[in-house]
Amino acid sequence: MSRLKTGITEFDEMLHGGFLEGDAVMVAGAAGSGKTTLALQYLVNGATKFGQNGIYVTFEQMPDQIYRDAESFGWDLKRLEQEGKFQLICTSPDLLVNKNGAEELLGDPIRELNPKRMVIDSVSHLQMFVPEGDVRREVYRLVMFLKTKGISSMLLWENPQMLGSSYSITDVGLSFMVDAIVALRAVEIESSMRRALGILKMRGSDHDKHLREYEITPHGIRVDQPFSQYEGLMSGSPRKVAGEKFVDMFRSVSEKKKSAVG
Amino acid sequence: MVDQTKENILQRLLSSDVKADLLVLFHKNPGLIDTMEGIARRIGRVTSAVEAEIRDLVAMGLLKVKFIGAAQVYALDKVRDKHVLDEAANHIKSIQ
Repeated sequence: MSRLKTGITEFDEMLHGGFLEGDAVMVAGAAGSGKTTLALQYLVNGATKFGQNGIYVTFEQMPDQIYRDAESFGWDLKRLEQEGKFQLICTSPDLLVNKNGAEELLGDPIRELNPKRMVIDSVSHLQMFVPEGDVRREVYRLVMFLKTKGISSMLLWENPQMLGSSYSITDVGLSFMVDAIVALRAVEIESSMRRALGILKMRGSDHDKHLREYEITPHGIRVDQPFSQYEGLMSGSPRKVAGEKFVDMFRSVSEKKKSAVG
Repeated sequence: MVDQTKENILQRLLSSDVKADLLVLFHKNPGLIDTMEGIARRIGRVTSAVEAEIRDLVAMGLLKVKFIGAAQVYALDKVRDKHVLDEAANHIKSIQ
Protein backbone atom coordinates (compact mmCIF):
# COMPACT_ATOMS: atom_id res chain seq x y z
CA MET A 1 0.00 0.00 0.00
CA SER A 2 1.36 3.37 -1.00
CA ARG A 3 1.31 5.97 1.76
CA LEU A 4 1.60 9.73 1.95
CA LYS A 5 3.89 10.84 4.72
CA THR A 6 3.05 14.01 6.59
CA GLY A 7 6.73 14.61 7.24
CA ILE A 8 6.05 14.86 10.99
CA THR A 9 8.07 11.84 12.11
CA GLU A 10 6.12 10.86 15.23
CA PHE A 11 2.79 11.44 13.50
CA ASP A 12 3.84 9.24 10.57
CA GLU A 13 4.75 6.57 13.11
CA MET A 14 1.25 6.83 14.56
CA LEU A 15 -0.12 6.41 11.03
CA HIS A 16 2.16 3.40 10.46
CA GLY A 17 3.92 5.21 7.64
CA GLY A 18 1.44 7.87 6.54
CA PHE A 19 -2.08 8.25 5.20
CA LEU A 20 -3.10 5.78 2.53
CA GLU A 21 -2.79 7.27 -0.96
CA GLY A 22 -6.06 8.64 -2.31
CA ASP A 23 -7.75 8.68 1.07
CA ALA A 24 -9.95 11.48 2.35
CA VAL A 25 -8.78 12.54 5.80
CA MET A 26 -10.73 14.73 8.19
CA VAL A 27 -8.83 16.84 10.70
CA ALA A 28 -11.23 18.06 13.37
CA GLY A 29 -10.50 20.55 16.09
CA ALA A 30 -11.54 23.78 17.69
CA ALA A 31 -10.30 27.21 16.65
CA GLY A 32 -6.63 27.58 17.52
CA SER A 33 -6.03 23.84 17.74
CA GLY A 34 -3.53 23.90 14.86
CA LYS A 35 -5.60 22.45 12.01
CA THR A 36 -4.30 24.98 9.49
CA THR A 37 -0.71 24.53 10.69
CA LEU A 38 -0.96 20.75 10.39
CA ALA A 39 -2.51 21.03 6.92
CA LEU A 40 0.10 23.49 5.66
CA GLN A 41 2.90 21.35 7.07
CA TYR A 42 1.41 18.33 5.25
CA LEU A 43 1.41 20.25 1.95
CA VAL A 44 4.78 21.97 2.37
CA ASN A 45 6.49 18.70 3.36
CA GLY A 46 4.75 16.97 0.46
CA ALA A 47 6.09 19.54 -2.00
CA THR A 48 9.58 19.93 -0.56
CA LYS A 49 10.43 16.48 0.81
CA PHE A 50 8.36 14.01 -1.17
CA GLY A 51 7.96 15.62 -4.61
CA GLN A 52 4.17 15.76 -4.28
CA ASN A 53 2.53 19.02 -5.28
CA GLY A 54 -0.33 20.39 -3.25
CA ILE A 55 -3.29 22.78 -3.40
CA TYR A 56 -4.75 24.61 -0.41
CA VAL A 57 -8.34 25.74 -0.87
CA THR A 58 -9.52 28.21 1.72
CA PHE A 59 -12.89 29.82 2.32
CA GLU A 60 -11.47 32.33 4.79
CA GLN A 61 -12.20 35.99 4.14
CA MET A 62 -8.57 37.11 4.52
CA PRO A 63 -6.43 34.26 3.20
CA ASP A 64 -3.31 36.44 2.84
CA GLN A 65 -2.87 35.71 6.54
CA ILE A 66 -2.10 32.14 5.54
CA TYR A 67 1.02 33.30 3.66
CA ARG A 68 2.06 35.34 6.69
CA ASP A 69 1.37 32.58 9.20
CA ALA A 70 3.21 30.04 7.05
CA GLU A 71 6.19 32.38 6.88
CA SER A 72 6.34 32.44 10.66
CA PHE A 73 7.02 28.69 10.52
CA GLY A 74 9.67 29.19 7.83
CA TRP A 75 7.47 28.04 4.94
CA ASP A 76 7.67 30.31 1.90
CA LEU A 77 4.41 29.54 0.12
CA LYS A 78 4.92 32.23 -2.52
CA ARG A 79 8.23 30.67 -3.54
CA LEU A 80 6.58 27.25 -3.74
CA GLU A 81 3.89 28.81 -5.94
CA GLN A 82 6.53 30.30 -8.23
CA GLU A 83 8.17 26.89 -8.45
CA GLY A 84 4.84 25.34 -9.46
CA LYS A 85 4.73 23.04 -6.43
CA PHE A 86 1.90 24.65 -4.50
CA GLN A 87 -1.15 26.79 -5.05
CA LEU A 88 -3.37 28.68 -2.65
CA ILE A 89 -6.92 29.15 -3.91
CA CYS A 90 -9.33 31.32 -2.02
CA THR A 91 -12.96 31.32 -2.94
CA SER A 92 -16.49 31.20 -1.59
CA PRO A 93 -17.94 27.84 -0.54
CA ASP A 94 -21.13 28.45 -2.52
CA LEU A 95 -19.07 28.29 -5.73
CA LEU A 96 -17.69 24.89 -4.84
CA VAL A 97 -21.17 23.48 -4.28
CA ASN A 98 -22.44 24.97 -7.53
CA LYS A 99 -23.39 22.55 -10.29
CA ASN A 100 -20.01 21.33 -11.64
CA GLY A 101 -18.40 23.76 -9.19
CA ALA A 102 -15.54 21.46 -8.20
CA GLU A 103 -14.58 20.78 -11.84
CA GLU A 104 -14.91 24.39 -12.95
CA LEU A 105 -13.15 25.82 -9.92
CA LEU A 106 -10.42 23.24 -9.44
CA GLY A 107 -10.08 21.70 -12.89
CA ASP A 108 -7.51 24.17 -14.25
CA PRO A 109 -5.27 24.22 -11.15
CA ILE A 110 -5.35 20.41 -11.05
CA ARG A 111 -4.30 20.20 -14.70
CA GLU A 112 -1.55 22.80 -14.19
CA LEU A 113 -0.11 21.45 -10.95
CA ASN A 114 -0.90 17.72 -11.05
CA PRO A 115 -1.26 17.70 -7.26
CA LYS A 116 -1.22 14.58 -5.10
CA ARG A 117 -2.49 16.44 -2.03
CA MET A 118 -5.29 18.91 -1.46
CA VAL A 119 -6.54 20.66 1.67
CA ILE A 120 -10.04 22.11 2.01
CA ASP A 121 -10.19 24.72 4.78
CA SER A 122 -12.82 24.19 5.90
CA VAL A 123 -15.79 22.00 5.04
CA SER A 124 -17.56 23.55 8.04
CA HIS A 125 -18.06 26.67 5.88
CA LEU A 126 -20.33 24.67 3.56
CA GLN A 127 -22.94 24.69 6.31
CA MET A 128 -23.47 28.40 5.71
CA PHE A 129 -24.50 27.86 2.10
CA VAL A 130 -26.32 24.56 1.89
CA PRO A 131 -29.19 23.19 3.97
CA GLU A 132 -28.00 21.02 6.83
CA GLY A 133 -29.24 17.82 5.24
CA ASP A 134 -27.27 18.58 2.05
CA VAL A 135 -23.82 19.07 3.63
CA ARG A 136 -23.13 15.33 3.57
CA ARG A 137 -24.11 15.06 -0.08
CA GLU A 138 -21.87 18.00 -1.07
CA VAL A 139 -18.90 16.72 0.92
CA TYR A 140 -19.38 13.26 -0.56
CA ARG A 141 -19.42 14.76 -4.07
CA LEU A 142 -16.24 16.73 -3.37
CA VAL A 143 -14.45 13.73 -1.86
CA MET A 144 -15.38 11.53 -4.82
CA PHE A 145 -14.33 14.21 -7.31
CA LEU A 146 -10.87 14.37 -5.73
CA LYS A 147 -10.57 10.59 -5.44
CA THR A 148 -11.41 10.28 -9.13
CA LYS A 149 -8.54 12.64 -9.89
CA GLY A 150 -6.20 10.55 -7.72
CA ILE A 151 -5.82 13.29 -5.13
CA SER A 152 -5.55 12.65 -1.40
CA SER A 153 -7.68 15.17 0.40
CA MET A 154 -7.45 16.63 3.87
CA LEU A 155 -10.72 18.19 4.98
CA LEU A 156 -10.58 20.53 7.94
CA TRP A 157 -13.55 20.62 10.27
CA GLU A 158 -14.03 23.36 12.82
CA ASN A 159 -15.30 21.80 15.99
CA PRO A 160 -16.95 24.40 18.22
CA GLN A 161 -16.07 22.50 21.38
CA MET A 162 -12.69 23.42 22.81
CA LEU A 163 -13.21 21.60 26.08
CA GLY A 164 -16.12 19.75 27.56
CA SER A 165 -17.60 16.47 28.55
CA SER A 166 -19.18 15.46 25.24
CA TYR A 167 -17.17 15.11 22.08
CA SER A 168 -18.61 14.52 18.65
CA ILE A 169 -16.55 15.07 15.54
CA THR A 170 -19.29 16.56 13.38
CA ASP A 171 -22.96 16.98 14.04
CA VAL A 172 -23.86 16.52 10.38
CA GLY A 173 -22.70 12.92 10.07
CA LEU A 174 -19.56 13.29 7.94
CA SER A 175 -17.46 10.82 9.88
CA PHE A 176 -18.39 7.76 7.83
CA MET A 177 -17.67 9.53 4.52
CA VAL A 178 -13.98 9.97 5.18
CA ASP A 179 -11.33 7.27 5.38
CA ALA A 180 -9.44 8.67 8.33
CA ILE A 181 -10.18 11.05 11.18
CA VAL A 182 -7.60 12.95 13.20
CA ALA A 183 -8.85 14.81 16.26
CA LEU A 184 -7.02 17.74 17.79
CA ARG A 185 -8.21 18.52 21.25
CA ALA A 186 -7.34 20.88 24.09
CA VAL A 187 -7.24 19.19 27.48
CA GLU A 188 -6.93 20.66 30.93
CA ILE A 189 -4.54 18.73 33.14
CA GLU A 190 -3.65 19.95 36.60
CA SER A 191 -4.79 23.47 35.75
CA SER A 192 -2.74 23.80 32.59
CA MET A 193 -3.89 23.65 28.98
CA ARG A 194 -2.30 20.93 26.89
CA ARG A 195 -3.03 19.59 23.43
CA ALA A 196 -3.93 16.03 22.51
CA LEU A 197 -3.89 14.41 19.08
CA GLY A 198 -5.61 11.13 18.33
CA ILE A 199 -6.36 9.05 15.27
CA LEU A 200 -9.99 8.06 15.67
CA LYS A 201 -10.33 6.11 12.45
CA MET A 202 -8.12 4.86 9.63
CA ARG A 203 -9.92 2.69 7.15
CA GLY A 204 -7.86 -0.21 5.79
CA SER A 205 -4.90 0.26 8.09
CA ASP A 206 -3.85 -0.23 11.66
CA HIS A 207 -2.70 2.84 13.54
CA ASP A 208 -1.56 4.04 16.94
CA LYS A 209 -4.58 4.17 19.27
CA HIS A 210 -2.89 6.32 21.90
CA LEU A 211 -3.66 9.96 22.46
CA ARG A 212 -0.45 11.87 22.11
CA GLU A 213 0.52 15.29 23.27
CA TYR A 214 1.46 17.76 20.54
CA GLU A 215 2.85 21.24 20.45
CA ILE A 216 2.82 24.05 17.93
CA THR A 217 6.48 25.01 17.74
CA PRO A 218 8.21 27.72 15.64
CA HIS A 219 8.83 24.96 13.08
CA GLY A 220 5.29 23.57 12.99
CA ILE A 221 3.50 20.75 14.75
CA ARG A 222 5.58 18.43 16.92
CA VAL A 223 4.01 15.24 18.23
CA ASP A 224 5.30 14.02 21.59
CA GLN A 225 4.71 11.07 23.88
CA PRO A 226 1.35 9.44 24.60
CA PHE A 227 -0.62 10.65 27.61
CA SER A 228 0.03 7.28 29.22
CA GLN A 229 -0.41 8.59 32.77
CA TYR A 230 -3.94 9.88 32.20
CA GLU A 231 -7.31 8.56 31.21
CA GLY A 232 -10.59 10.31 30.39
CA LEU A 233 -8.92 12.93 28.19
CA MET A 234 -11.53 12.77 25.44
CA SER A 235 -14.41 12.90 27.89
CA GLY A 236 -13.07 16.16 29.27
CA SER A 237 -12.37 14.76 32.75
CA PRO A 238 -8.75 13.65 32.71
CA ARG A 239 -7.55 11.78 35.78
CA LYS A 240 -4.38 9.92 36.57
CA VAL A 241 -4.53 6.20 36.05
CA ALA A 242 -4.54 4.18 39.31
CA GLY A 243 -0.88 3.14 39.07
CA GLU A 244 0.25 6.73 38.61
CA LYS A 245 -1.90 7.85 41.55
CA PHE A 246 -0.19 5.27 43.77
CA VAL A 247 3.27 6.40 42.64
CA ASP A 248 2.34 10.04 43.37
CA MET A 249 1.02 9.18 46.81
CA PHE A 250 4.10 7.09 47.62
CA ARG A 251 6.38 9.89 46.43
CA SER A 252 4.48 12.46 48.48
CA VAL A 253 4.63 10.37 51.70
CA SER A 254 8.30 9.61 51.09
CA GLU A 255 9.12 13.30 50.65
CA LYS A 256 7.21 14.22 53.82
CA LYS A 257 9.13 11.58 55.78
CA LYS A 258 12.43 12.81 54.39
CA SER A 259 11.66 16.41 55.36
CA ALA A 260 10.53 15.25 58.85
CA VAL A 261 13.84 13.39 59.33
CA GLY A 262 15.81 16.32 57.95
CA MET B 1 7.81 62.84 -24.17
CA VAL B 2 5.04 61.18 -22.16
CA ASP B 3 3.69 57.90 -23.58
CA GLN B 4 -0.05 58.63 -23.64
CA THR B 5 -1.14 54.97 -23.56
CA LYS B 6 0.97 54.20 -20.51
CA GLU B 7 -0.13 57.44 -18.88
CA ASN B 8 -3.76 56.39 -19.39
CA ILE B 9 -3.12 52.97 -17.85
CA LEU B 10 -1.51 54.60 -14.84
CA GLN B 11 -4.37 57.04 -14.43
CA ARG B 12 -6.94 54.26 -14.69
CA LEU B 13 -5.08 52.20 -12.06
CA LEU B 14 -5.00 55.15 -9.68
CA SER B 15 -8.47 56.44 -10.46
CA SER B 16 -10.29 55.45 -7.24
CA ASP B 17 -9.90 54.12 -3.72
CA VAL B 18 -12.06 51.12 -4.57
CA LYS B 19 -9.77 50.16 -7.45
CA ALA B 20 -6.74 50.52 -5.20
CA ASP B 21 -8.41 48.25 -2.62
CA LEU B 22 -9.21 45.70 -5.32
CA LEU B 23 -5.63 45.70 -6.61
CA VAL B 24 -4.26 45.25 -3.10
CA LEU B 25 -6.76 42.42 -2.45
CA PHE B 26 -5.81 40.53 -5.61
CA HIS B 27 -2.08 41.06 -5.13
CA LYS B 28 -2.20 39.86 -1.55
CA ASN B 29 -4.38 36.93 -2.61
CA PRO B 30 -3.33 36.00 -6.14
CA GLY B 31 -5.31 32.75 -5.91
CA LEU B 32 -8.61 34.52 -5.24
CA ILE B 33 -11.53 33.36 -7.37
CA ASP B 34 -14.85 34.88 -6.40
CA THR B 35 -18.07 36.51 -7.52
CA MET B 36 -18.49 40.26 -7.59
CA GLU B 37 -20.52 40.02 -4.40
CA GLY B 38 -17.86 37.89 -2.70
CA ILE B 39 -15.08 40.26 -3.76
CA ALA B 40 -17.05 43.27 -2.51
CA ARG B 41 -17.54 41.57 0.85
CA ARG B 42 -13.81 40.89 1.17
CA ILE B 43 -13.01 44.60 0.97
CA GLY B 44 -15.95 45.62 3.15
CA ARG B 45 -18.09 47.12 0.38
CA VAL B 46 -21.35 46.39 -1.38
CA THR B 47 -21.57 45.01 -4.90
CA SER B 48 -22.79 48.25 -6.45
CA ALA B 49 -19.68 50.04 -5.15
CA VAL B 50 -17.24 47.70 -6.88
CA GLU B 51 -19.09 46.77 -10.08
CA ALA B 52 -17.74 49.51 -12.36
CA GLU B 53 -14.19 49.18 -11.04
CA ILE B 54 -14.11 45.42 -11.49
CA ARG B 55 -15.40 45.79 -15.04
CA ASP B 56 -12.64 48.32 -15.75
CA LEU B 57 -9.99 45.94 -14.36
CA VAL B 58 -11.42 43.25 -16.64
CA ALA B 59 -11.31 45.67 -19.61
CA MET B 60 -7.65 46.40 -18.77
CA GLY B 61 -6.96 42.66 -18.74
CA LEU B 62 -5.86 42.54 -15.12
CA LEU B 63 -8.80 40.37 -14.10
CA LYS B 64 -10.16 37.46 -16.07
CA VAL B 65 -13.74 36.24 -16.04
CA LYS B 66 -15.07 32.72 -16.04
CA PHE B 67 -18.31 30.96 -15.21
CA ILE B 68 -18.86 28.41 -12.47
CA GLY B 69 -22.33 27.11 -13.15
CA ALA B 70 -24.40 30.24 -13.53
CA ALA B 71 -22.08 32.34 -11.39
CA GLN B 72 -19.69 34.79 -13.02
CA VAL B 73 -16.37 34.81 -11.16
CA TYR B 74 -13.22 36.90 -11.35
CA ALA B 75 -9.56 36.00 -10.88
CA LEU B 76 -6.24 37.78 -11.34
CA ASP B 77 -4.67 37.27 -14.76
CA LYS B 78 -1.15 36.84 -13.39
CA VAL B 79 0.66 37.16 -16.73
CA ARG B 80 -1.21 40.25 -17.87
CA ASP B 81 -1.01 41.77 -14.38
CA LYS B 82 2.77 41.47 -14.32
CA HIS B 83 3.02 42.99 -17.78
CA VAL B 84 0.79 45.98 -16.93
CA LEU B 85 2.52 46.66 -13.63
CA ASP B 86 5.97 46.43 -15.24
CA GLU B 87 4.86 48.93 -17.87
CA ALA B 88 3.43 51.26 -15.23
CA ALA B 89 6.66 51.03 -13.19
CA ASN B 90 8.82 51.74 -16.24
CA HIS B 91 6.62 54.66 -17.16
CA ILE B 92 6.95 56.18 -13.69
CA LYS B 93 10.74 55.85 -13.93
CA SER B 94 10.77 57.49 -17.37
CA ILE B 95 8.87 60.59 -16.21
CA GLN B 96 10.87 61.07 -12.98
